[in-house]
Amino acid sequence: MSRALGDQWPLPQIDDGNRGWFTSGELSVQKCLACGAFQHPPEDVCSSCQSFDLGVHLSTGLGRIESLVIVRHPPHPALVDAVPYAVVVVSLDDAPGVNVVGNLLGAPPEELRIGQAVSASFEEVPDPEGGETLRIPQWKLA
Amino acid sequence: MHGKAVVVGVGESEYYERGRSPHSEFQLACIAIRNAVEDAGLKLSEIDGFVSYMDQRNPPLRLAQALGVDELRFAAEPFSGGGNNVGAAVQMADAAVSAGYARHVVVFRAIAQGQFGRFGAGRAGAAGRIPAPMAWTAAHGLLNAAAECAMHTRRFMHDHDISQEALCDISLACYANAQRNPRAIRYGRPLTREAYHESRWIVEPFHLFDCCPENDGAAAVVVSTPERARDLARPPVSIVAAAQGIGPWFGIRMFQPKPLGGAFYGDVGRRLWSNAGLGPEDIDVAQFYENFTGPVLMAISEMGFCEPGEVEDFVADGALVGPDARFPFNTSGGNIGECYVHGFGLVNEAVRQVRGESTCQVKDVEHSLMVAGPGYSPGSAVLFGRA
Ligand SMILES: [Zn+2]
Repeated sequence: MSRALGDQWPLPQIDDGNRGWFTSGELSVQKCLACGAFQHPPEDVCSSCQSFDLGVHLSTGLGRIESLVIVRHPPHPALVDAVPYAVVVVSLDDAPGVNVVGNLLGAPPEELRIGQAVSASFEEVPDPEGGETLRIPQWKLA
Repeated sequence: MHGKAVVVGVGESEYYERGRSPHSEFQLACIAIRNAVEDAGLKLSEIDGFVSYMDQRNPPLRLAQALGVDELRFAAEPFSGGGNNVGAAVQMADAAVSAGYARHVVVFRAIAQGQFGRFGAGRAGAAGRIPAPMAWTAAHGLLNAAAECAMHTRRFMHDHDISQEALCDISLACYANAQRNPRAIRYGRPLTREAYHESRWIVEPFHLFDCCPENDGAAAVVVSTPERARDLARPPVSIVAAAQGIGPWFGIRMFQPKPLGGAFYGDVGRRLWSNAGLGPEDIDVAQFYENFTGPVLMAISEMGFCEPGEVEDFVADGALVGPDARFPFNTSGGNIGECYVHGFGLVNEAVRQVRGESTCQVKDVEHSLMVAGPGYSPGSAVLFGRA
């Protein structure tokens, strides 16, 4: 599968904070083991109860569009062939209080609306530097 | 609380389209500071403090040496972000002077995007990999301020039934007011509603004319004590109150449920009015930082001038245009019409309105408001008034 923004677009650097998100092939969001609150991006401290006891919640990947933009002017030379593309903010049905960002694939950007139901899909890209295979979370209309 | 510190001088460089400045960014800073200090009737050697924001290229130590400052007593810069800190920078100078840590503090911003490149060019890392802290958004091509502010704007428009015409009215007002200001880069280049709608999309819901241009220029003020101001050249302008509002850190944190569709100015407004003992109804003229048109609509309502759902009517029918406007707004043309000096031109204009020296002068100005960059945290604002 070719990538939403083209193969020229740089891949994310993977670190301990985002490894689960960008490589697991599941929507993994941080969950506080002390109070159960979700938060994104992962942080060293729970912002609800200040616990350091933090774990991971694997979301079913169903959610809703909370906002969206259609990028038409390429913001970077490596995105000249990628425009127009839609970027969406998505709330997760099973992780209240958390919004995530991705591209909405497989639908004309003009038809997207706030409130539409979406489901996660993953772009699988081998790491050119030999690291773990990337599985970048993206979205489709549900 | 009533301001102890006053603005005694304002100045700027000539304003240039991006890449047209014959001077380096540092030289532009020196020109603006020299003009502000001269306006005050001070000597450069008497300046003893500098405050700027998002400015690593023109640091206080470099300026103090280049300008022949006798003794540098205070130097500071607010944290996190860019144009959101215009008011916070003035607030720091107010705090330093009011507390007696310095006597004549220059607050300034210089920006030569021809020399150093544009903010609007995507922040992604030129090659290799996207740095991890940015990857949550940049991996999906959400790269620059235009797209980030567009994301909030789309949600704001959806929640409050705001049409594209409201965004257009902000841009038209800035262009119209710039037609009275010979300093303005857009002087002699008016904008029509038709041209706005025909302009290309940058990132929906922003057309080209929803985005402020990027320019070369510098602007500065001198903040001093009222006691010292008595001996100086110009009538002092009081810093009646200033406020910051701390919201989420950068990147994907800005798109979490609570801030989504907002500009982070609710706290700023509450604090400013409480610090000043005044309210929106007391404001005679306002300068709102327009990085993009949409967040200005949010800032106007969050500062308490109207309910969010009323903001389209609030800005409609030329309500923001000219000195006799229903709501005198961005009277120099602002970032969009005059020059993008990372918002500092708005401070100079807010001060000039109190002095009675604007090219779009509102009658009998007692309270003149400057609201810094919306959509990024910490937001900040300053209320100027007669000393
Ligand atoms: Zn917790």
